Amino acid sequence: MEMDPDSLAKAFVEHYYRTFDTNRSGLLGLYQDSSMLTFEGQKIQGAQNIAVKLTSLPFQHCSHHISTVDCQPSGAPGGMLVFVSGTLQLPGEEHQLKFSQMFHLIPAQGSFFVFNDIFRLNYA
Amino acid sequence: MDFPEPQAVDPFPTQVLDPDSLAKAFVEHYYSTFDTNRTNLLSLYEDSSMLTFEGEKLQGAQNISAKLNGLPFTHCSHHISTVDCQPSGVPGGMLVFVSGNLQLPGEEHQLRFSQMFHLIPTPQGSFYIYNDIFRLNYA
Repeated sequence: MEMDPDSLAKAFVEHYYRTFDTNRSGLLGLYQDSSMLTFEGQKIQGAQNIAVKLTSLPFQHCSHHISTVDCQPSGAPGGMLVFVSGTLQLPGEEHQLKFSQMFHLIPAQGSFFVFNDIFRLNYA
Repeated sequence: MDFPEPQAVDPFPTQVLDPDSLAKAFVEHYYSTFDTNRTNLLSLYEDSSMLTFEGEKLQGAQNISAKLNGLPFTHCSHHISTVDCQPSGVPGGMLVFVSGNLQLPGEEHQLRFSQMFHLIPTPQGSFYIYNDIFRLNYA
């Protein structure tokens, strides 16, 4: 089934955050050696290093709630830029944390991998 | 750990800027143009450029410029909190991710926003904006 870019972007975003929230170590499969993550200003390269960073964040459980998803073709062959905003609920925290994140998805074996990933909390 | 460097560009003739400095310089130039001379934003886009502004999709420098010039305020002031950048995988391309606040005249509270740019080198040694996505971050 061929999906339009917006549907592809939404499907990716749902898969990404569901994996993050329920099976965080599964995120490893979404990155490659060339992938880059900037997480709250910290720069990390490569699937292994990125997976280590994400699986060692100081909370076991979390829940992402997505407010907006925007996407555009990136100019790389088949590449898609995906721009997400939403909130993150951590257990025991009274207030949700607002965040924004962008992904650059590159086609691989009929699916996508995350080449660029930048995450920022949006503080008051 | 350092990311691979994009090719050097030349807004300042005798210097080679690292990617983070280039990104910051671009961001400062973009928002100061937006805040003081909005019609000049036209020159930062080309026919292939795309803007998604609060969910509305626009393509091409003329349409993008018309949208930005037609926003319902004459004055505004952007205050940048964070700038992150990474090479995009397109030759010399840079992804720039910005968060900050937008002050509009007469508004008591600043509006929070996030924006991403994909910058592509021009033959003249500068950058143009190929992708641009803007979102306000509501409470």
